[in-house]
Amino acid sequence: MSGRIVVGYTATEAGADAVALGARLAAASGSTLDIVVVLPGEDRSVITPPDASYDRYLNEQATAWLQEATASIPDAVPTSTNVRYADSFAEGLVAAAEEFGASHIVVGAANGGLRGRHRLGSVATELLHSSHVPVVLAPEGSRRIEPATGVTRITAAIGTRPGAHALLDEATSLAADTGAELRLLSLVTVDLPASVDTGVIRIAGAAHADQVLAQARAGLPGNGDTEVIVGRGDSIEDAVSHLSWEPGEVAIVGSSRLAQPRRLFLGSTAAKMLHELPVPMIVVPRTRAAEGESQ
Amino acid sequence: MSERLGAAAPLAPTAGKEAGGLSAKGLSAGTVGLIGAVVIGISCIAPAYTLTAALGPTVSEVGFQVPAIILIGFIPMLLVAFGYRELNRQMPDSGTSFTWAARAFGPWVGWMAGWGLIAATILVLSNLAGIAVEFLFLLIDQIAGSPGTIAELAFNPFINVAVCLLFMLGATLISYRDMQTTQKLQYVLVTFQVLVLVIFSVAAFVHVAQGNAFDASPVELSWFNPFAVGSFTAVVAGLSLSIFIFWGWDVTLTMNEETKDPEKTPGRAATLTVITIVVLYLLISVSLLAYAGTGVEGLGLGNEDIQANVFFFLSGPILGPLAFLVSLAVLTSSASSLQSTFVSPARTLLAMGHYGALPPRFADVSPRFFTPGFATIVSAIIASVFYAIMRFVNENVLWDTITTLGLMICFYYGITAFACVWYFRKQWFDSARSFFFTLLFPLVGGLILAALFVITLVESMDPDYGSGTEWFGLGSVFVLGVGIIGLGLVIMIWQAIKRPAYFRGETLSLDAPASLRRARR
Repeated sequence: MSGRIVVGYTATEAGADAVALGARLAAASGSTLDIVVVLPGEDRSVITPPDASYDRYLNEQATAWLQEATASIPDAVPTSTNVRYADSFAEGLVAAAEEFGASHIVVGAANGGLRGRHRLGSVATELLHSSHVPVVLAPEGSRRIEPATGVTRITAAIGTRPGAHALLDEATSLAADTGAELRLLSLVTVDLPASVDTGVIRIAGAAHADQVLAQARAGLPGNGDTEVIVGRGDSIEDAVSHLSWEPGEVAIVGSSRLAQPRRLFLGSTAAKMLHELPVPMIVVPRTRAAEGESQ
Repeated sequence: MSERLGAAAPLAPTAGKEAGGLSAKGLSAGTVGLIGAVVIGISCIAPAYTLTAALGPTVSEVGFQVPAIILIGFIPMLLVAFGYRELNRQMPDSGTSFTWAARAFGPWVGWMAGWGLIAATILVLSNLAGIAVEFLFLLIDQIAGSPGTIAELAFNPFINVAVCLLFMLGATLISYRDMQTTQKLQYVLVTFQVLVLVIFSVAAFVHVAQGNAFDASPVELSWFNPFAVGSFTAVVAGLSLSIFIFWGWDVTLTMNEETKDPEKTPGRAATLTVITIVVLYLLISVSLLAYAGTGVEGLGLGNEDIQANVFFFLSGPILGPLAFLVSLAVLTSSASSLQSTFVSPARTLLAMGHYGALPPRFADVSPRFFTPGFATIVSAIIASVFYAIMRFVNENVLWDTITTLGLMICFYYGITAFACVWYFRKQWFDSARSFFFTLLFPLVGGLILAALFVITLVESMDPDYGSGTEWFGLGSVFVLGVGIIGLGLVIMIWQAIKRPAYFRGETLSLDAPASLRRARR
C-alpha cells in the first residue's frame, strides 16, 4: 500500500507520541508520513495587531520543530513536513488529510494523560467531530515504543450497531497492509444499561455476541487466523482492562451512531474503552468515503 | 512549559552567511482590510480608557487648553510615525524599536530602545489594570444600586491589589493562549465604545444648556489656542501626556504587508482612525470642561482627588441611571487594550532573546498556542509586582504611572525617530519623498520628543510636579523615570558580560542602505 498518514504535530510530548505512532504505522504499512504543524490562521487576529514578521518567526520556529520531529523517524519511512495555517488545529489537519488523500490522521493525547492511557483533549474531540478519515489516537507514552515493534495485532471492537461494515473493512485492510493478526472483540454483554436484569438477558446477549462475531468472521477473507473474544466484566472499563494487550497492538472502534454520515464521533462505549485502553485507538467513520472521492 | 521537548528556539546565527542580517523569510499576511485596520487601531488606542486616565493630569497642567494640547500633541506622533513606517517597510521585524535602533546606532542604543518600549508597555499594563479595577467596582455598584459603598471598596489597597492581580492573571492567560474574540464582537465593542463616548459628551452639553451643569463654563475659542496656556513648561508637560493618548495609533500606519492593499490601506486606515480619535477627544474634553470647569472642588476637573480617573466621578452626575454604560465602555476598552498591549513587550522581549540581547528563553514560543509564552509571563509578573508595590507606596499610582509613561514613550519613540534618520542617511536625497519621510519628518519629530523628554525630566525633579508625590526630596515621576532607565543600564551591562555576542554586533549588525540613485547610474 502506498497510502499517506497525516500526523498532527506540536512540539510537545503528545506531539512526539503522535509522530512515533505515525512512523510505526507508516513503516508497518509502507505509507508516507506527512507531519503537519498547524499555525493559527492570519485572519483570526482581531484584537492584537497582526505582525507579518512575527508570523515569519513562527513559521521558522515551526520548521525547526518539524526538523526535530523528523530526527526520530526511521530513514525507511518517506516523510514530508508541512506548515499549515487554519483557524483550529483540527481544521488544518482535516484540510491537509483531504489534500494529501491521507488514509489516517494521527494525534497525541492531550497533556496530563496517565502513562500509557488516553485522555481526549479538545483537539482530538474536535477532530472526531469533523474528520472523514479514521483518526488514530496515540496514548501518552507512545513515543517510548520501539519503531521496530511494528503492528502485531489489530483488535476490532464489534457492536451490533450500524457501522460494523466500515469498521471491518478498515480492520481487515489495515491487518493486510501491516501484516498484523486480527482479533474481533465483542463488548455487547457488558454494553447494556445498568437496569437490565442479568441472568437470562445476559446469556442471550452472549449468544447474540457470538453470533455477530461468527458472522463477521465468516465475512472475512482468509479468516483462518482471526481470533474471536467476548469481553466480560461489570463494566466496559472492567472488561477492557482484563483483556490482554500486546505492545504493538492497535484497537479499532466505529464512530457513534449519532455522527453524521462519513463524520466521526466517539460513542459512549468507545469513550469508556478509551479510558482503559493502553494501546492506540483508531476511530473509523460510520461509512467510509469511496476511494478517490473528494469532499 | 514542561511540555517542551528541549525544542531549540531559532536563535539568530552568529556566524555564516546569514549572520548579522535580519532573520526573515517565508510567507506574509495580507489579510487586513480597511475597516479591520481601523478597528484594530481604535481598540489599540482604547479612547475610553485613555481619556479617563489622561484627561485629569492634562487639565492640571494646562487648564482649559486641553483641546489645544490634544491638537498639537498629535504632531510629533505623526512625524515619528512616518519614520516608523519607513523603518518597518525596510526592516519588518517584531523587535521594532529595539531592532531598528540596533541596526542604526549599534547594540547598546538598540538595547535601551527595547528597554524603553518594554518599560512603557509594562507601565501602561499596570495602569490599565488599575483603571479596570476601579470601573469594575463602579459597575457593580451601579448595577446593585448602592450609591458609593461598593465603589469605595476599589480604594482599599488590599482589595484593589488583589482584584488587579486577578485581572492581570486573566489577561495573561488570554494572551498566553492567544484567545481572540470573533471579528464581529470586536467590531461591536469598538462601535459601542465610540457611541458611549459620544452619548456621554452630548449628555454633558445638555446639562450645560439646561443650566444644571456642575460648573458651566462657556466654550471659548481660546481653549484651542496653545499660546493661551501662558507657561511653556505647562505646555511641555501637557504634551508629554498627550503623546500617550495617541500611542497605539501608529499600528495602523505601520501595517504594510499585513494589509490587503499595502499601497492604500495603511494610509487610509491611519487617517480614518486619527480623525475618529481626534474628534472624539475634542468632543469629550470640550464637553467635560464645559460641564465641570477646572475648579479644584467637587467635580471640577482641577480637583486632584478625581483627576486620575475622571469618568469614574463624572459619569454618574452626567448620565444618571445610564452611567453604567460608561463603566462598561471603559471596562471593555481596557480589556481589549490590555490584550493588544501585552503583545508588544512580549514580541520585543522575544526579539531580544532571539538576537541574544537577553537569555534565549525569551525567544521561546509556546508549542501549543504559538505565542511568545515565556516573554508574556515575564511581562505579566513584572507589571503585577510593579503595580502592587506602587499601590502601597504611592497613593497617586495611576497618575504617576501615566506621567512616567509619557516620559518613557518620548524616550523610545525619540530614539526610534533618530534611528530612522540615521539609518537612511545615504538615501536622504534620493528623492523628495525620501527627504521628507526619512530625514525631515522623523528628525523634527525626534527633536520634539527629545526636548519633551529632557524638559519633563528636569521639571519632574520638583516634588510638586504632577501628582505632587515626593520621594527622596525629588518628584516621584523623576525617581521612577530615572530608576527605570538606570535599571535598564544595569541589566544591559550584566547581559553584555554574560552574552557578549550581541553586544559585539555579531547577531545584529550596523547597517545603512546605500543610495538607490547612485546604484541606478
